[in-house]
Amino acid sequence: MTTPADRHLLAMHRSEAAVSVELQTEDMVLNIGPQHPSTHGVLRLVATVAGERVRSVQPVMGYMHRGYEKLAEVRTYAQITALVNRIDWVSGFANEIPFIVAAERLMGVEAPERAQCIRLILTEMFRISNHLIFLCSFPAELGAPTPLMYALRERERVLDLIEGVTGGRFHPNFNRIGGVKPAAGGGSTQRTRAQDLPKGFIEGTRRAMTAVRHVCDDLENLVLGNEIVQQRTIGIGVLPADKAVEYAMSGPNLRASGVPFDLRKVEDYLPYDRFDFDVVTMPNGDNYDRCRVRLEEIRQSARIIEQAVDSLPGGPLQAKVPRVIKVPKGECYVRAENPKGEMGYHIVSGGGRRPYRVKIRSASFCNLQVLPWLLEGALIPDVIAILGSLDFVLGDVDR
Amino acid sequence: MSLLDNVWVVLAVKLGLAVVILFALALVVMFAELKVSAHMQHRIGPYFAGGRWGWAQVFAEALKFLQKEDLIPRDADAPVFRLAPMVSLLGTFAVIVIIPLSPVLVAGDLDVGIFYALAAGSVSTIALLMAGWSSGNKYSLIGGLRAGAQLIAYELPLVLAVVGVVIQAGTMSMVGITEAQAQPLFHIGSVGISLPYALQGQIIGFVIFMIAALAELVRIPFDMPIAESELVMGYLTEYSGIRFTMFLLGEYAGMLAMSAIASVLFLGGYHFWGLNADWFGPFVLIGKSLILVFVMIWFRWTWPRLREDQLQSLAWRWLVPLALANIAVTATLKVVL
Amino acid sequence: MSEPEPPAAPAPDPETPSAETPPARAAHWAALVGSAEWADAFRTVKVRVPRERWVEAHRALQPHLPFFAWLSAIDWSNEVAVGDPLEGEPVEERYEVISRLSDVSAGEAVILSTDLPPDDLTIDSLAGVYTAADWHEREAADMFGITFVGHPNPVRIYLSEGFVGHPLRKSYPLLAREVKAWPGAVEVTPLPAAEGSAGEPKEGGA
Repeated sequence: MTTPADRHLLAMHRSEAAVSVELQTEDMVLNIGPQHPSTHGVLRLVATVAGERVRSVQPVMGYMHRGYEKLAEVRTYAQITALVNRIDWVSGFANEIPFIVAAERLMGVEAPERAQCIRLILTEMFRISNHLIFLCSFPAELGAPTPLMYALRERERVLDLIEGVTGGRFHPNFNRIGGVKPAAGGGSTQRTRAQDLPKGFIEGTRRAMTAVRHVCDDLENLVLGNEIVQQRTIGIGVLPADKAVEYAMSGPNLRASGVPFDLRKVEDYLPYDRFDFDVVTMPNGDNYDRCRVRLEEIRQSARIIEQAVDSLPGGPLQAKVPRVIKVPKGECYVRAENPKGEMGYHIVSGGGRRPYRVKIRSASFCNLQVLPWLLEGALIPDVIAILGSLDFVLGDVDR
Repeated sequence: MSLLDNVWVVLAVKLGLAVVILFALALVVMFAELKVSAHMQHRIGPYFAGGRWGWAQVFAEALKFLQKEDLIPRDADAPVFRLAPMVSLLGTFAVIVIIPLSPVLVAGDLDVGIFYALAAGSVSTIALLMAGWSSGNKYSLIGGLRAGAQLIAYELPLVLAVVGVVIQAGTMSMVGITEAQAQPLFHIGSVGISLPYALQGQIIGFVIFMIAALAELVRIPFDMPIAESELVMGYLTEYSGIRFTMFLLGEYAGMLAMSAIASVLFLGGYHFWGLNADWFGPFVLIGKSLILVFVMIWFRWTWPRLREDQLQSLAWRWLVPLALANIAVTATLKVVL
Repeated sequence: MSEPEPPAAPAPDPETPSAETPPARAAHWAALVGSAEWADAFRTVKVRVPRERWVEAHRALQPHLPFFAWLSAIDWSNEVAVGDPLEGEPVEERYEVISRLSDVSAGEAVILSTDLPPDDLTIDSLAGVYTAADWHEREAADMFGITFVGHPNPVRIYLSEGFVGHPLRKSYPLLAREVKAWPGAVEVTPLPAAEGSAGEPKEGGA
């Protein structure tokens, strides 16, 4: 039964609804990318925007899909390290580690201690390099171009050290199954041990780590301490811990949401248990925390590297492996704490010189899955900031 | 002699001089931006073009832009698209003619000088809207609308900040305001000491004016209409070649014009203690302007950009009330004293 | 300057979680999903479930292992278009769908696996159990042609709309390789002598 009062109310609602329909404006579909300064390559976001407010976002990728999983099937194990270097090109060396360790496990060989420590040092150096890249590109996305130069300058020192050891700056291709490559000019390191690292490497590393800590302090004051940066990042793009786990975020993005999970602590692909370092977590999971986690991780990495060069064990660089590497049948998954998150390789060996199947679990691909949830309702400037704060590389997304 | 009596000849000479000086100074500012930003970032900056300091870099860049193809997108509204850069420059030139370089060296000393300057300066708002709307590009459109919203929001604090000075000086003429600041406030012995308005209680007005000027000029931290990392280049996205250069020149000339106005209003214009304004006036004024330009460059390379809504709340919640309070206090003091 | 003498390295700590009596853990996970088939080779715990219980098994593990690391498939095929074929006995031709679950505290992890016959590549989608399975299933659909029933957004993720074929199937040729031979393909003829003897051609790229 509708009373007249009800009817009046109903009519009012109806007229209001009519008005709001009339005022409804059309949403605009904005293509952010694939060619856009802030999508780190060729990511495309199809955003439906109402003014500056984003209603929904649909990430589109595949512009850089190079089919690494297929290519790995036609390459020998030794050749694949050169390939996987290019997955996340900002931290090339760290991509090699889980693959090599998985192959070693399948073959039943283990790299000598010294080789493992060198791997560890280089991985941490690439972590520093990766995080410095983040700390320079993230402010640039907020519109501040200057921190870029400060971060890159110190990154150069780290890259110089890496270059000294491996001969490469981005794609070292330095790992061998059962060890690491003898450094150029080092002679046969099967027999001697003191000619593998370049002269002055340890001194240079100590100096570089001091410089890196220094630039961390600088960036902490200049970037994180800046009021505008704080306004633009604190409370923006909040990713609570349960959502972070639900969307399978890993690495610094997960730890920024307050989940103290670091594969370096729970896995033993490299001898991290010998060194003293903290798992950095932040409570809020916003852009600021994601930035801060990475800054602190640089410090922790510097700590690890300093301990590692102080206690570098001697011995050979290469375990005994056959000249022609054939991997016995089996399946093995090894995951590692890549600078961007969990990176792993599931190697299925058919017993031949080439793997039967390699599944590459890359961190950025999984970290981006949260985008539609995270970007819903954000403003366009925040979309860019959130995107930058997730620290992804398109090579790592598309593989 | 008879030639200089002709008003049109005089006007042409004045305009020509203003344009030449402005362009020359804009190139200086451009070069300063290259060098200052480089040194702030541990770089050397331009080094090879020209002589030792790479001074010819700006000319090289200008030439490079001139060579580029003048692209007009198919979906663009071509006449408006073509006109926008000129309108942008026009506003700046219109402002520059009333700036007094010395007591006599002034192209046009209007009684309503500052009022005219602010009105003419607002023309650039239209230019940005025109550019954003006519480009036929969503990023440009968003950029243009942001520019519109931003310039309207900051026009108010800009004007209100000036009102304090006008009340204090009792005139709107640029020369009048400069001279008012040269009046001795007190004497030490027989020497009369004068103070610019920034030191006579208009410091809040000065700060508000500079903030609003940065927003008017669409420079970091208020460069949301351009926002390279978000909107690619905002309303500039589709511009290339000479039209892009005109916007660029407009920006640098605008920085100079705004700095010059601020110098006149708040920093004593062409007067400096102990220097003869007739002879040193132009140098003093340009020097003061360049210092303010340096501050703008400094901000540009040290700060990130705000968000559009944060910019609006800064304008309406802080700058406008502060400027109003400034006016109230100034007016009260003017009546009481 | 020579490298300093290495101090005595601390003994490697064997107390990592993944080293704790792995078979027990594997059996534990298998029991949890109600499967008797499990393997624990090379420290990779793998529990096999029938295709019908695929979603159910994930639902059983979800509270313990909330982190969905990845999902993919393996094309078990005796004939391959590129790469090395399987050695030894011929295998049953099938597609194996595998998913990896882990926790975010102690480092526990398990791989679930199920088989699909080559003529019926459909399986229930996990998107209702694990949100993060979304993109991985789209990827597997692209690469292997597996249909995930009930997927919320079954559109292509990597390949363009008109793309024909499923690249990671073993029958799919690597076209670039067929057009132009790869210079890195150094063929090694196995010597009758034992491996590692002098004079053997070097591994390509090594």
